[in-house]
Amino acid sequence: MTNALEVKGLRKSYGEKVVLKGIDLCVHRGEIFALLGVNGAGKTTTLECIEGLRKYDGGTISVNGRMGIQLQSAALPAHIKGKEAVRLFAKWNRKTADASMLAALGVDSIANKQYQDISTGQKRRLHLALALICGPDIVFLDEPTAGLDIEGRISLHDYIRNLKAQGKTIILASHDMAEVESLCDSIAILKDGEIAFAGKVTALTEKIGKHYNIQIRTGQGLETYESDNIRASLITILKNYQERDIVIQDIRVDCGSLEQHFLKIAKGE
Amino acid sequence: MNGFLYGVTLQWKLDLRSRTMLITCYAVPLLFFAVMGGIFTSVMPESKETLIQSMTVFAVTMGALIGLPPSLAEIYRSDIKNAYQANGVPLSLGLILTNLSAFVHLLIMSAILYVIAPILFDARIPKHPETYSGGLIILIAVSLGIASIIGLAVKDAANTSMFSILLFIPSTMLSGIMFPSDMLPRAFAVAGKLFPATWGYQLMTDSAFSLQTLCPLLSISLIALILCVSLLKRIRTR
Repeated sequence: MTNALEVKGLRKSYGEKVVLKGIDLCVHRGEIFALLGVNGAGKTTTLECIEGLRKYDGGTISVNGRMGIQLQSAALPAHIKGKEAVRLFAKWNRKTADASMLAALGVDSIANKQYQDISTGQKRRLHLALALICGPDIVFLDEPTAGLDIEGRISLHDYIRNLKAQGKTIILASHDMAEVESLCDSIAILKDGEIAFAGKVTALTEKIGKHYNIQIRTGQGLETYESDNIRASLITILKNYQERDIVIQDIRVDCGSLEQHFLKIAKGE
Repeated sequence: MNGFLYGVTLQWKLDLRSRTMLITCYAVPLLFFAVMGGIFTSVMPESKETLIQSMTVFAVTMGALIGLPPSLAEIYRSDIKNAYQANGVPLSLGLILTNLSAFVHLLIMSAILYVIAPILFDARIPKHPETYSGGLIILIAVSLGIASIIGLAVKDAANTSMFSILLFIPSTMLSGIMFPSDMLPRAFAVAGKLFPATWGYQLMTDSAFSLQTLCPLLSISLIALILCVSLLKRIRTR
């Protein structure tokens, strides 16, 4: 088996409400994969079923490797210190916490602080460290950068890329499309309990097609144009300004973000 | 030190950092002992014979019923249980660690009372230390079992406190530690027999273990064990 994760026909209902209608997923080893969807699409249920935290009604889940799980909603006792939490989970998993990993995640700086006294970002990094203690092959990250400041996000993104470089498979759920675009190799979009799209991030943009917004600022104000052929449009527009002898102060080209593509699929916009 | 032993030690330290356990296991029982010990021994000098046992029953009942449920609720009604489950820590570990830690705290508190009661109030050392010690251990275990049911079963903090107090008050009032059981109206005396404090007090003041006293305590602990296992399964199966 070359895949880190294979899900076939996963079904789950809460009473009468069908949340997952037989979804299929495949995550290759060593890639960063994101599961996307609007609130209530079934992302967390899917992840929890895969992680073994929730029972499912049907289908098969094959996880090829040891899992490390950082949940979105996880906590520790209020009075436990960072180093105590690391030691407890390391001892329970019969592992030794990697000092360089703790330093990279900034956990050593909260070693002597109680859980109740550390910030949301520090808690997130501590939970990630706890998830990595067991030396997992597959790391699940649910909203890993939620609550982090910009510096924290950048350092965590670097760390996630570093995990990938070590050969680990990363499966993350995120609402941050910039994060997904910057980090992920492939994605799946859940819509109403079904997979609406699965594939490479680049394939998603190609599938929907490129659509550009051009903004040109001059002394007379801001003008906007839309185009499906950026090269031809820019030549025409710039020529037009030149003929009218108008000085251009600023040009901005926005090529339809992943967020817009995501919304088109997830919400059918 | 393996994971389990480290967990017990760590939980014990966490309990010391938590005001709830410090107050319920040490501060309030000591205050109660200081006030009521003085009153009991002044009003009824014969209470010196059983002061250690009665104050110990109060301390154990208070520490277990009021102190343990919030600790369990912190683990099982919060995202802590998610963190445990996600990182391969058995869900039962929280229950076992908090119980063992509380057991040690209650033993320490009982030892403190055993030492200071004779010094402060001229209380008599139990004539049968072996039945006192055995009774104490059984009482702590059974009380923690009942407290565990409250901590695992009740779904919010307000109800946890309510159920704890609803069990704690009759346990102490009807067990014979405040007033001799034979002075209580018959209905209250019978009701008192539903609570482990009554049987624990009797066991700790008896000269020897008797099946009649042990049976109710063992029955309650068996029921508590079955209920705790069942509640843990319910929490695990989502």
